[in-house]
Amino acid sequence: MAIPSRTDSTARAQWWRSIDHVSLTGIGILIGLGYILMLAASPAVAHRIGASRNMFIFKQVAFLSIAAAVVLITSRLSVRSIKRLAVFGGVIALGATFMTLVHGMEIKGARRWIALPLMSVQPSEFLKPFFAVFAAWLLSLRGTILIKNKWRFPGRAVACLVYLVIAALLQAQPDIGMLSVITMVFVTQLFVDGLPMAFFGALVLAMLSAFGVAYLTFNHVRSRVQRFLHPDVGDHYQIDTSLRAFGNGGLLGRGPGEGRVKDLLPDAHADFVFAVAGEEYGFLMCCFIIALFAMLVLCTLRRLIHEKDPFIILASSGLITGFGLQAFINMGSTLHLIPTKGMTLPFISYGGSSAFSVALTMGMVLALTRHRVEPGLFAPQPKESEVPMSNRLFSPTSPHKDPSA
Amino acid sequence: MPDKAPFPHSPEPSARLSPSSSRQASKKQTPSLRKARLWEALRQRFHRPPTPWLERSHQRLVYVGMGFLFIYGAVAFKALFATVLAPMAPLPGQIASQLPEIPKPDPHALIGSGFELPNIKRATITDRNGQPLALSLPIVQVYANPMEIISPEDVYTKLRQVVPNLDHQDIVRRLSQKKQFVYIARNLSPTQELAINNLGIPGIYFETGERRHYPLGRIAAQIMGGVDIDNRGIAGVERYFNQRLTSDHTPLRLSIDARVQAAVRDELDAAKQMFRAIGACAILMDVHTGEILAMVSLPDYDANDFGHAPADARFNRAVTGMYEPGSTFKLQTAAMALELGVAHPWDSFSTAPIHVGRFKISDLKSDHFAPWLPLTSVMAFSSNPASAHIALAVGAERQHTWLKNMGFLNRVPIELPEAGRPIVPSRKNWGYTTVMTVGFGHGVAEPPLAIVRGTAATGNGGFLITPTLLARNHDNDDVVMSDTIGPRVLSEKTSNTLRRILRLVVTKGIGKRAESPGYFVGGKTGTAEKISAHGTYLKNVNITAFTGLFPVNAPRYALYVMLDAPKPTAETHGWTTAGWIAAPTFSKIVTRTAPMLGLFPPDPARAAQIEEQLAIPLIPPIPRGAHAFGPGHEAGILPASVANPRHHTKKHPSHAD
Repeated sequence: MAIPSRTDSTARAQWWRSIDHVSLTGIGILIGLGYILMLAASPAVAHRIGASRNMFIFKQVAFLSIAAAVVLITSRLSVRSIKRLAVFGGVIALGATFMTLVHGMEIKGARRWIALPLMSVQPSEFLKPFFAVFAAWLLSLRGTILIKNKWRFPGRAVACLVYLVIAALLQAQPDIGMLSVITMVFVTQLFVDGLPMAFFGALVLAMLSAFGVAYLTFNHVRSRVQRFLHPDVGDHYQIDTSLRAFGNGGLLGRGPGEGRVKDLLPDAHADFVFAVAGEEYGFLMCCFIIALFAMLVLCTLRRLIHEKDPFIILASSGLITGFGLQAFINMGSTLHLIPTKGMTLPFISYGGSSAFSVALTMGMVLALTRHRVEPGLFAPQPKESEVPMSNRLFSPTSPHKDPSA
Repeated sequence: MPDKAPFPHSPEPSARLSPSSSRQASKKQTPSLRKARLWEALRQRFHRPPTPWLERSHQRLVYVGMGFLFIYGAVAFKALFATVLAPMAPLPGQIASQLPEIPKPDPHALIGSGFELPNIKRATITDRNGQPLALSLPIVQVYANPMEIISPEDVYTKLRQVVPNLDHQDIVRRLSQKKQFVYIARNLSPTQELAINNLGIPGIYFETGERRHYPLGRIAAQIMGGVDIDNRGIAGVERYFNQRLTSDHTPLRLSIDARVQAAVRDELDAAKQMFRAIGACAILMDVHTGEILAMVSLPDYDANDFGHAPADARFNRAVTGMYEPGSTFKLQTAAMALELGVAHPWDSFSTAPIHVGRFKISDLKSDHFAPWLPLTSVMAFSSNPASAHIALAVGAERQHTWLKNMGFLNRVPIELPEAGRPIVPSRKNWGYTTVMTVGFGHGVAEPPLAIVRGTAATGNGGFLITPTLLARNHDNDDVVMSDTIGPRVLSEKTSNTLRRILRLVVTKGIGKRAESPGYFVGGKTGTAEKISAHGTYLKNVNITAFTGLFPVNAPRYALYVMLDAPKPTAETHGWTTAGWIAAPTFSKIVTRTAPMLGLFPPDPARAAQIEEQLAIPLIPPIPRGAHAFGPGHEAGILPASVANPRHHTKKHPSHAD
C-alpha cells in the first residue's frame, strides 16, 4: 500500500493521514509475532490432542488475517458508528453471555463458551470492549443532557447499573478473571472521569473486599491464590514448567524451533505462549513484547492527553486499559508474578474469539484516536449532521451550551 | 442525581464568587454580614477552586500511564529474573534430546582391575585376590525414530560400517515403519556407540544400559548364579547379595580363590570323565575361618549363558544336593563316642552281621574282617556292624543331640539361596534302627557342605565353624587355631585323637590312595548305594566320597570330594568304592592345590618326626587298669526284643569299604 500523497483527499488517504501510525505499526508487529510463535508453540499441543500438526497454524493464520481486516475496517468508523456498534454489539454480547448460562458448553467447570460450527465463541470477550465504549458514552452524556432543575443525566448511575448486570452474569458463569478485568476497566474510566479521590479509594477497597469474597466463595480462585502464595503446596506443574521454559531460554533463547520445555507446557499455544517466546527467543524477545504492549498503551494515552472530547477520552482509555491489563495478566501469570489466570496474550495467543475481540478493541481505539480537524480557521464548518454528536455538544461554538454558564 | 462536579465548560466558581464578595464589601457592615464575610474569606482560603474536567482527566490519564509503566516494569523485571538472574533449570527429562550423552571410553583400562565403572549400577564381584568373577559392562542399545529418518537405505549403509551383522531387509523395514521408536541394534560397546555417533545420522539415538559378564565362564558358575534381563540377581550370590550389589558400589570380595577353584574343577572334571560319573562335587574350606576357597559342582555351565544352562548344570551339588554320607559319617560316630567317653581307641567291637527285622547289617564278604576290631581299626577299615555297635553304645538321645549340635539337622548356613535342608528322621522316629544306620551314615541325607563342616570341627581343635563365601580380612598365612570362631563342640584331646585316626585311615587303612606325600592328609572314605526311583538301593551304583583334612598335624584345610555314580575302570579292578574312586581324586586335588595355598612338604627328617607324632596303632594297647570293651564285655548290644531271630534276612543296603 503506497503512502498517499498529501493532496490526495480520498477517504483512504484521509484515514491514512489521521491514523495513529505508531499504534498501527505496533499492532502489525504483534500479529506477525503471533504467527511466528504459533509455528513454535502449537505443533506439540496439536500432537498431544491428536490433531493434525498444522491445524492450529492454519486456523490461526485465518484468525489473524480476519483480525487484521477487522482492525483496519473498524479503524475507519466514525465516532458515531462506534457508538452504534458498541450499543448493538454490547446488547448482542450481553444476550449471548446470558445464553451461555442456558446453552453454553461447559469446559473445566465453567460455562463461558457457545459452540459454533468452526469455533467456539466466548461472548464475554466481546462484552469487555463494548461495555467500555458504552460506559464511556453514558458517562459523557452527563455533561450534555439536562433533565430539569439542574439535574443532569445520571450517567454514572446508569453505567453502574449496567455494570452490575454484567457482573451478575459473569460471576454466574463463573468467570472471575473477566469480571475483574471489566471491573478494573470501569474503575479506571470512573477515575479518568474525575471521580473524587475519596470515592476512588473507597472503590479500590470495595474491589479488594469483593476479591476477598470471591476467594472465600469460589474454590478455584482460592486454590489458585493459595498455590501462588505457597510455592511448596499443591500442584505447580504448569507454572513450574513455564518458569523452566524461561530458564531454559536465558538471555538470547535457544533459537527458533529449539525449545524443548515448550513441548511439555500445557496450553503452550494459548495462555503460555509468552513462555514459548521466552524459551526460544530469550529475555530480549520478552522485553520486546513487553515494550510493544507498553508502547501501544502509552502512545494511546499520550494521544488522549491532546484530546478534548470526553467520550473519546473515556472510551479510548477504557479500551486501551482493558487491552493493556489483558496483556499484563497473561504475562504476569506466565512469569508467576500474579496467580494463574487463563487470559490470552492479545494477537499472540491462539484463539478466534480472543483475536476478534482484541481486533475490535484496537480497531475502535485507532478509530477514536484519529486526528480530527476541529472546525476553525483552516477547516470549513462542517454540516451539522456530519459533526459527531459529542463534538457538537462540547465544541466552544456549540449551541448546546451548559445552561449553568 | 444532582451532579456536584462542574462539567467541562462550566464557569469557574471563583469568578462567580468574587463579584458577590466585592458587592458585599461596599455595603454597610452588620455583625451578621461580618460573620458571613469572614466565612467567605475562610472558604476562599481553604476551598481551592475545582479543576476543570478536561484538565483533571488529562492529569489522571498520566496517572493511568504511570500505573501501566509500573506493572509492565514489574513484568520486565520478573522476566529478567526468570531468564537471566535466577533461571529455573529445566528437568533433565525435559531437555533430554537437547543434551545427547557422550559415550565415555575407558582409556585407563579401569574395567579390568575391578574398579567401579561410571554409570554402572551393579557392583563387581571378585575372588579373594581381587580377580573379577562378575562385573557389569556399559552397553548401549541403538534405536531410531523412523519419522526423522531421511533415507533408510542410506542409514543402513552407514550403520553397517560399525555393526557388520545388521540384516539389510529387517533394518530397512524397521526404519520405514510409521513409528517413533524402533530398535536397531542391541548390546553394543561404548566404542561402537561413539563410532555410530560420529556418523552423525539424524534420528538415531542411544539407550545406555549395562550387562553382567562372568570373565571366568564356568569357574564358580553355580556360586555366581546369574541375573535376569533387568540385572536382578536370580541365583547364587548374585541373588543372595542383590541388595548389597545394587546399593554399595565397592566390589564384593568372595572367599573363593579363582586359581584353586579352577584347579579343583580341572581335577574333578578329569576324574568325572575318567570314571564316567554323572556328577561330581568338591569343597575346599579353611577349617579355622570357614571360608570356602573352592566349591565345584559338575556338570556346570558357562555363567555368561545362565539362561540356556540345563537344570542339572545349574544344580549346586555342594549345597542343594542331599546325599547319604555313607562311611564318612563314621567319623561323627567315633567323635561322639570318644568325646562322651563311651568308647576309647582300644575298645573292640564285633564285626558280626547284625540282624534287624528282615535286614542285615554287614560288611562286604570280601573284607574278611576279624570278628572283633578295636575302634581305630573300625575306622581304618570301615566296618558297618562295629560302627552300629558304637552308635548303640552312644544311644539315640546323645546321638541326636550330637548331630543337632554339629548342625546336621538344620539348613547349613551359607550365603547361597540354594542351600537346602537335610533329610533326617524326626526325633520321634529316631529308633534303634536309625541309631545303627546313622552310625555308618545311612538313613540321613546331608549336603556335602555339612559333611565338610563336620570334618573341619574334628580337625580345628573342636570348634563348629560357620561356612562362608565372603573373604575375611586377614592375611592368609597368619591363620592360627586361636582365630577359629564358633562354639566348641568337642574337646581338643578328642580332636587330636580323631586327627590321628584320620591319618591312620590313609597310612594303613582303606584310604591309602588318598595319600599325598608331604602334605599329611587324613580322611575318611564313604560309599553309599544310590536309591532308585522305586525307593530301593541300587547295586553297584554308588555315591563315592572322601572327606579329609590337610595337613593333619596342624590342619588348615578340609577337602571333600564326591563322585556320583562312577563306572569302574581297569585301574580300579572293577571297584566303584570310595577308596578306589574318590580317594585318588582327593590326592590329586591336594597335591595340585596345596602349593597354591602356601603349603610345602617339609624336609624328610621333619616329615618323619611328624609321622611319628601322628602315629596311632591299628590295635592300640589297652592301658593298665582299663576295662576295655571286647569279647565278653560287649558294648552297644541291640535289645533282644528288637533283633529278629528269623533267618530270611537281607543284607542291609550298604557295604563297608
